[in-house]
Amino acid sequence: MRTSRKHRYVFDLDPINMTPMMNLMVVLIPLLLTSAEFVRLGIIELNLPPAISATGMGAADEARSNARKLDLAVTITDRGFFISSSMAVLANEGEPTLPVLNGVHDYNGLSRKLWEIKQQARDLYPDLEQIIILAEPEIDYQTVVSTMDAARTIEIEGKTEILFPEVFLSATVR
Amino acid sequence: MSLRGRIRRRHASDAVMPQLTSMMDMFTILLVFLLKNFSTHGQLISPSQDITLPVSAVQQAPEIGLDVVVSRDWILVNGKPVARTPEAEKLEGFIIPNLRSELQKYANEGRNLEEKYGKKFSGKVTIQGDKRLAYRALIKVMATCGQANFPNMRLVVYQKEE
Repeated sequence: MRTSRKHRYVFDLDPINMTPMMNLMVVLIPLLLTSAEFVRLGIIELNLPPAISATGMGAADEARSNARKLDLAVTITDRGFFISSSMAVLANEGEPTLPVLNGVHDYNGLSRKLWEIKQQARDLYPDLEQIIILAEPEIDYQTVVSTMDAARTIEIEGKTEILFPEVFLSATVR
Repeated sequence: MSLRGRIRRRHASDAVMPQLTSMMDMFTILLVFLLKNFSTHGQLISPSQDITLPVSAVQQAPEIGLDVVVSRDWILVNGKPVARTPEAEKLEGFIIPNLRSELQKYANEGRNLEEKYGKKFSGKVTIQGDKRLAYRALIKVMATCGQANFPNMRLVVYQKEE
């Protein structure tokens, strides 16, 4: 007799009223769906290409502050990267500093090379954040953006170090 | 009471309520997923249909600016086509005349607003370019923007998945 009463107690329990919770879900899910971000967009801030500022007042400014500047520049060609500064080009006789490996530009190599340059040039030059990126006319946009990424930061032993975040774009002189 | 009798009674009492547990499971998972990629500012820039933006590791969030789209065929300012990309690529020099005149219209408008209502003209322009675009086209568009009083350029990219 006792066991049967216990069973009845279990079976006759009313189910929890789910309706308010369902109402909540039905409202919340469309709300979140509309404001969800499935592709994350970002922006890269750019400085004026020196080609333009040089025609305006940029040239005069540059002449006034003719302190020793590094003027680091990376040139993207279809054969690889050329790294150069106001003093020298890091290449031997027309060969790129970092040649293309298996059809892909050597972005990691570029980051490492720029890191070395930054270490050596520290405290010597005022423009240690700036880099000029030049590209051949045929280079595609993705390559340019990836090069900017490689020149912006580097991961060393799990830490992110800043390289040259201020990018100037320039066109190659033909 | 026989076993059969007990089973029949149980069926009779449960028949009213459908099984909600699995549905609640699903909703909970959905809710968590949607909360995870919830953004407070919404989509400020909606990427165009016919272009694929390049992928980059930048963390900077998008801002509003004049919308310039460079697809493989057309250059559009605020959705209005102004010049053909292949023709722009062939141009001598860095300035695309049609694009410049269109941009200057917007710049003048912005200046007027600044004079009349004190709303500052920022000269911001967001450039959406197809990732296969040649650098030659890109640099011309940017040079033109710079000439037409829009010096603050931003390149729109897809953020790399972490």
